Amino acid sequence: MADPNVEAWTRANADYTDARAEAAWAKDEVDWGIWHVPESELHALPDVTGKDVVELGCGTGYVGAWLKKLGAARVVGVDPTPAQLQTARRCNERFGLGLEFVEAFAEDVPLPDAAFDLAVSEYGASIWADPGRWIPEAARLLRPGGELVFLRNSTLAILCSPDEDLPTTETLQRPQFGMYRFQWPGEGVEYHLPHGEWIRLLRANGFEILDLIEIPAPADAETHERYDYVTAEWGRKWPAEEIWVARKEA
Amino acid sequence: MPEPEYVSRNRASWTLANAEYTDRAAREAWAREEIVWGHWRLPERELGVLPDVAGKDVVELGCGTAYFGAWLKRAGARRVVGVDLTPAQLDTARRMDEEFGLGLELVEANAEDVPLPDASFDLVLSEYGASIWCDPELWIREAARLLRPGGELVFMRGSTLRILCVPDEGPATDRLLLPQKGLYRTDWEEGDMSGTDFHPPTSELFAILRENGFELLDFRELYAPDDAVDHEYYVQPSAEWARKWPAEEIWRLRLRPRSS
Repeated sequence: MADPNVEAWTRANADYTDARAEAAWAKDEVDWGIWHVPESELHALPDVTGKDVVELGCGTGYVGAWLKKLGAARVVGVDPTPAQLQTARRCNERFGLGLEFVEAFAEDVPLPDAAFDLAVSEYGASIWADPGRWIPEAARLLRPGGELVFLRNSTLAILCSPDEDLPTTETLQRPQFGMYRFQWPGEGVEYHLPHGEWIRLLRANGFEILDLIEIPAPADAETHERYDYVTAEWGRKWPAEEIWVARKEA
Repeated sequence: MPEPEYVSRNRASWTLANAEYTDRAAREAWAREEIVWGHWRLPERELGVLPDVAGKDVVELGCGTAYFGAWLKRAGARRVVGVDLTPAQLDTARRMDEEFGLGLELVEANAEDVPLPDASFDLVLSEYGASIWCDPELWIREAARLLRPGGELVFMRGSTLRILCVPDEGPATDRLLLPQKGLYRTDWEEGDMSGTDFHPPTSELFAILRENGFELLDFRELYAPDDAVDHEYYVQPSAEWARKWPAEEIWRLRLRPRSS
């Protein structure tokens, strides 16, 4: 039987991400998350000029494409879903950006140690892979001093998400104690850790934490057409998304 | 630096709280042989969040009746200075210090402006002290100034989640009652007491700490143990709430050497 996340993303690619890929690749500015907040406001990324970048859970590869356009020397996208990698390869040919793609789970990446300066994950490994396994992989893939930047749902948004497929509420729907692995109805398997657990895991894998950016929805944001698990109204009051920036100790 | 206006209200509230509770609770706290954290008295030997204090110079910012400083002195600290702005609490602390003969030094000052020299401590500690009653932009800068390079800052405060879920009166709920924006400073009134406390959300507080040269070593979210019962004096949070969600958190940081 296929992996539940590969199944879920094969369906999602047919429903949505394949059709959206060209528009995402065509963007000239890096932006983050469901509110599309520009990198120029958040400053989450290091200078990528001449850097080797690996994207863990790249999906259709658009974040990697943006980083290549910004001057990265090498961008390797890693994803376990063949359908999404097919879309990514089609876009890569069309845009001629020269990305490399590897079909693999971020928990076990067939790439050599200390081969990258930046590991990035935007709703990729950051929520779909087991943190206890992909964070050590990110640490292994990075050169000393290399950075890890990832975007995930906020813990608060997860605490307030009902079990049913409904938007985030203003009530705590589940305990934080022990939260780790989630399987929403009809979806794949996700991993959501509290802040304290992220910090301890990153530290245990030799990362210094440089930044934690909680992203509020901008005043003019609208609820995302597909990713409507959180409304723009909720996202203006509380951070629905956050970016972590960490550096592998030299 | 002139005293900010909220300092006198916080001092008045702690003078009252000392008369109501902290003075009579001081002896039991000072007598405790073991370091414990927060409402649920979780033992440090289980949490392991403090550095070894043997031979270290420690300053406690917002020490109240200074029981935490007493524990650190007993754990081997060379010098412990307690800083607090409420004379009534410092009176209690001095009485306890004489009774227990631990040799703490106690200084009446606001942790936002401490009359102690630069780079003279190895550990800055605050347990529900400066960590919630002082402006983080000011007291964290002071903590950085007071520490020697490589020195550590360890503090406890309520969790952001708890702050979001607390109504005007009574313990934390399971509802988000406040937006996260605007948590930095809260002016409150409750019965005879009024005051100001500060609770920047995790990301904002972390940014202030980084700007002041601190590296984050550890961050613990604390839950109530299964057998916890509600605290006799402090209303929040209920043990039931705190078994599901972290009501308290401990931050541990290290001041980076100035050169890097």
